[in-house]
Amino acid sequence: MNFPSELQYSRSHEWLRTEDGAAVVGISDYAQDSLGDVVFINLPQEGDEVQAGEPFGDIESVKAVSDLVSPVTGVVCAVNEALLDSPELVNQDPYDAWLIKVESVSGTEEMLDAAEYEAFCAQCGEEG
Amino acid sequence: MVIGRNQNPWKECRVTLLEEEGGTLARRLSGGGAVFHDLGNLNFTFLLPTEDYDPEKQTRVILTACRSLGVPAELSGRNDLTAEGRKFSGSAFYHNRGRSYHHGTLLVDVDMERMGRYLAPSPAKLAAKGVDSVRARVVNLSALQPDITVPALKEAMTAAFGRVYGPAAEPVPPERLDGDAIEVLLRRNRSWEWRFGPRLPFSFSCQGRWPWGELRLELSARDGIVRHCAVWTDAMEWELAPRLEAAVTGCRFVLPELEAAIAGAAVPHGTDICALLEAQSI
Repeated sequence: MNFPSELQYSRSHEWLRTEDGAAVVGISDYAQDSLGDVVFINLPQEGDEVQAGEPFGDIESVKAVSDLVSPVTGVVCAVNEALLDSPELVNQDPYDAWLIKVESVSGTEEMLDAAEYEAFCAQCGEEG
Repeated sequence: MVIGRNQNPWKECRVTLLEEEGGTLARRLSGGGAVFHDLGNLNFTFLLPTEDYDPEKQTRVILTACRSLGVPAELSGRNDLTAEGRKFSGSAFYHNRGRSYHHGTLLVDVDMERMGRYLAPSPAKLAAKGVDSVRARVVNLSALQPDITVPALKEAMTAAFGRVYGPAAEPVPPERLDGDAIEVLLRRNRSWEWRFGPRLPFSFSCQGRWPWGELRLELSARDGIVRHCAVWTDAMEWELAPRLEAAVTGCRFVLPELEAAIAGAAVPHGTDICALLEAQSI
């Protein structure tokens, strides 16, 4: 399992990084591994508002639908349209296959660093 | 008819026929394919905190119930229960911020003829992003064991739940449920926007030939609303294509509404064009 140290992570298994002033959001390696093969990703549109701790879309795998939870409050300024046709990119490289970029960020969930998140996942694994 | 979270209604089901015959299309939060529901289809839901979520244990309740009624039920793949190689139950799963559910169908005595009619593929060319249904050979439990009825299976499910999870199951009176919260969900689930208008874009095309000429119509929709329409025709009436395009653009992708828009715009050969749309079984 891969936990890049330059990213921040939420307890709902999204990752977050900052790029040119925008917050970039994806799902973690742990998340894609527990979801299994992803068959569809339902994302918001540019200009939509997202709220920290609230769902902004959903991801459907062969196992289940899971809501995607935004780690930040702000306005969507880019959507990874390639995922509409190739949702499997999230399984292949979850840290390259970003979901949305958010600008005008006015709030952020409590985030974990890579070491904390790795420990959190270990705990989730024991429970699950 | 209940479709999966990320499905296109018109691709999965003959919506107009279903509604004409008194049916309703609904969308669930979980994934997967289209399922036909009538009173012979018993539904179940396991609703639990995600840390207690265990599909294998939940499935054991259903297998135990069916076997107690003499059906040699087996789990097939991840989602289906079969007996003698035919499917009588499908499950779907949903997770949201620490809570999960596992719900599904049990075909007890479903009208298979109607099921087949609404799920029959439409001749229209409809291309949509999203998830496609997987067809399966299905069977009613009552065809395998004639004494199985919906009340009998309900009772067997309750008993099996107690056997798998420990103490005997206790029914919860509906008054204990949060009526206000249910009202909010009902409003969402009943709304046209939730059922037909998710953002998944799709395109639709059809063509016809008449003594007055040929016509091909292509449209693309988003949020269940026609966003663009293009018409090619060799008809003599030059105003046909622009009038038809203008009439349909902005319309909801609902057959009677499309027909009303075409009639209202005095599109030449409008009756023939409406008949063409009707023949697409959308």
